Amino acid sequence: MTADDSELRELRASVREFMAAKSPEEAVRKLMDSEPRFDPAVWAQAADQLRLPGLAIPEEYGGDGFGPVELGVVLEEMGRALLCAPFFATVVLAAQALLASGDSAACARHLPGIAAGRTTAALAVAEDSGSWDPALVSTRAVPDGDGDGGWKLRGRKSFVIDGTTADLILVVARTVAGPALFAVDREATGLAAEPMETLDATRAMARLTFDAVPATLVGADGAGGRIMAKVLDIASVGLAAEQAGGARRCLEASAEHARVRHQFGRPIGSFQAVKHKCADMLVQVELAEAASREAARLAAEGAAEFPVAAAVAHACCSRAYMFAAMENIQVHGGIGFTWEHPAHLYFRRAKSSQLLFGGPAVYHERLLDRLGI
Amino acid sequence: MDQDMQDFAAEVRRFLDAHVARAPDRTARPWGEGDDSMAYFSSLPPEKEQEFVRRAREWQRIRHENGFGWITGPVEYGGRGLTAVHDLLYDAIEAEYDVADTGVLSVIGLGMIGPTILAHAQPQVRERWLPAMYRGDAIACQLFSEPGAGSDLASVATRAVREGDDWVLNGQKVWTSVAQHSQIGLALTRTNPDAPKHRGITAFLVPMDAPGVEVRPLRQMTGGADFNEVFLTDVRIPDDHRLGEVDGGWTVALTTLMNERATVGSEGAGPVAAALSPDHLSALMRATWTWDDRALRARLAELLVDAMATEHLNARALRKLRAGTAPGPEMSVSKLMYGQNLTCAAHFVSDVLGPRIIADTGKWGTYAWTELLLATPALRILGGTEEIMKNILAERVLGLPKEVRS
Repeated sequence: MTADDSELRELRASVREFMAAKSPEEAVRKLMDSEPRFDPAVWAQAADQLRLPGLAIPEEYGGDGFGPVELGVVLEEMGRALLCAPFFATVVLAAQALLASGDSAACARHLPGIAAGRTTAALAVAEDSGSWDPALVSTRAVPDGDGDGGWKLRGRKSFVIDGTTADLILVVARTVAGPALFAVDREATGLAAEPMETLDATRAMARLTFDAVPATLVGADGAGGRIMAKVLDIASVGLAAEQAGGARRCLEASAEHARVRHQFGRPIGSFQAVKHKCADMLVQVELAEAASREAARLAAEGAAEFPVAAAVAHACCSRAYMFAAMENIQVHGGIGFTWEHPAHLYFRRAKSSQLLFGGPAVYHERLLDRLGI
Repeated sequence: MDQDMQDFAAEVRRFLDAHVARAPDRTARPWGEGDDSMAYFSSLPPEKEQEFVRRAREWQRIRHENGFGWITGPVEYGGRGLTAVHDLLYDAIEAEYDVADTGVLSVIGLGMIGPTILAHAQPQVRERWLPAMYRGDAIACQLFSEPGAGSDLASVATRAVREGDDWVLNGQKVWTSVAQHSQIGLALTRTNPDAPKHRGITAFLVPMDAPGVEVRPLRQMTGGADFNEVFLTDVRIPDDHRLGEVDGGWTVALTTLMNERATVGSEGAGPVAAALSPDHLSALMRATWTWDDRALRARLAELLVDAMATEHLNARALRKLRAGTAPGPEMSVSKLMYGQNLTCAAHFVSDVLGPRIIADTGKWGTYAWTELLLATPALRILGGTEEIMKNILAERVLGLPKEVRS
């Protein structure tokens, strides 16, 4: 299903209104110091009132069947508001991994709960190096020997977004056939989760240890590399939308401050040095929105250019957000460096998002690889 | 796209299919073959330039005869009476075909001065020049900038003094593209030195063959001469060639500047498109044995990210236009990025080539890049400097207060 322009505007307006009511700065600050790092009541409202978790899940699995374009609109708004919620981990990472696996039984088992907002989920790929390259996974999976097709996982995962709270954990582990995807229940014996201290306190991350944890294979044995490549493209574009939204918010905050703050008897925005700083931010934000929205459109069309566009979107939006977050502090002067001002929350989110999937050196090579260079 | 637009697009394709071939993909051309020119500016020898202008006039005449000479123009002057969106759609479709480059006629004359004549000239001047311009017979240039009036255009000092039914013009204009080919020029002159500077300006249409008009080529840092200086010495212009009110020329100038045509969609054309093409740049790295240089690869990736994001921006602006909605700040952003992307590409390529770009070995695809390298500083200045563009973005899009001006 595809929404037209006016439906997209309507979707954006209703999500923005929801964010203004449920994720104002006070709420973000309260949640980033609490555990769990989201408000279950707000999550339930997002599911019941706006049907957000099911937005991009196919109708056959209980969702509304929209695609990456609609998902992008929602993520831009969540990024603007720094929403603390298990949306990115559940809907963008875990649900997309299930869909990418092509395992219809696993999809039928897990996606309806995700779509309804009952189940939250996480995707555990990176280990202590932080790399999302499936070839570097050392967590191992072995058949449990009961002859029932079950597996047991051993190893350790880090940087698992919402890993302490997710009901369902999807894990990339190595088998003799290569990397593969497994589903683990939160209550499984042998699973331990501890919260990690994070640069960006609005996005919870965990370290998980697996000590012979019972797991179910998702998709084919050895298909983990293929699944991850697909998920990483979709997730890069989802993250890019979040980044574009955050960057736009930083630009708006800077422009607003430059209009009202007076120094030397005139608004600071009338000085060309400040004006050009804001114009440079605008250029970055416009490019970021174009790159992320165009990549989402290409994904929705199943276009052959999508993998290149996904890498471009992640690189472009990472840089734009980091730039906007830094310049936002600069435009605000000393006040922008205080804990009380929200500028640092965006700075933290921007840097953490830029490096989440490996950072510029990794995704630049990814782009060149996709272009055959 | 609605039905009207679809019909129009189909008509455009029928016309183009009947007259010209499809354009070759310049970005996909094989490395080491064909012309390796990287010229952003034309810089042709005189006889080739004459031929270039002749072909431009010819293609404009064919367009005109088939109803595409002036898509947005009023019917009584040979126009089609359609919208700017039709015009952009035409341009986008025509870009897929191998047509003569009509920039010499269209960028300034048809795109900017034609609409200004239409809005401000007296009836006999409109009737005399508009059909001639859109038929390809008359080329127009813009006599705006002066040595003392660049970005601050309202500082023009060329004087116009009334003598009976005529005006007498004296002064010097500069950066005048296509003046050497032009039949008419739109001049801004100072008619009232005592009024505030924006209020003492008057606009005139100057026949370029009038006595006292002298065009001198201005050699630029590329070595070529794409611009001219135009000297006006006791040039006599009848009052009916005045555009707008006496001392009301600033309004006329704004009409011209606002008609600066959207550049969206036009960037894919021209030899420099290859400078931003992944295939072309990777072929260059292979040819120079630098493809595994990590520092160069990182720069290439950054360059391609910007170039591709700019393409996405243009694609979205074009899609908005086709759907009939006006784009936002995309075009100003796109212009800024275009200059920056080509500048980055030129310096990236220079560093890949190393010494091979500082002296000509005669080898294909090496020293030719100096043409682009030397053109890039102009891209940050022409059509509004980067600084002016940023002021416009900050003031008009972000609502920041205006600079304090004297």
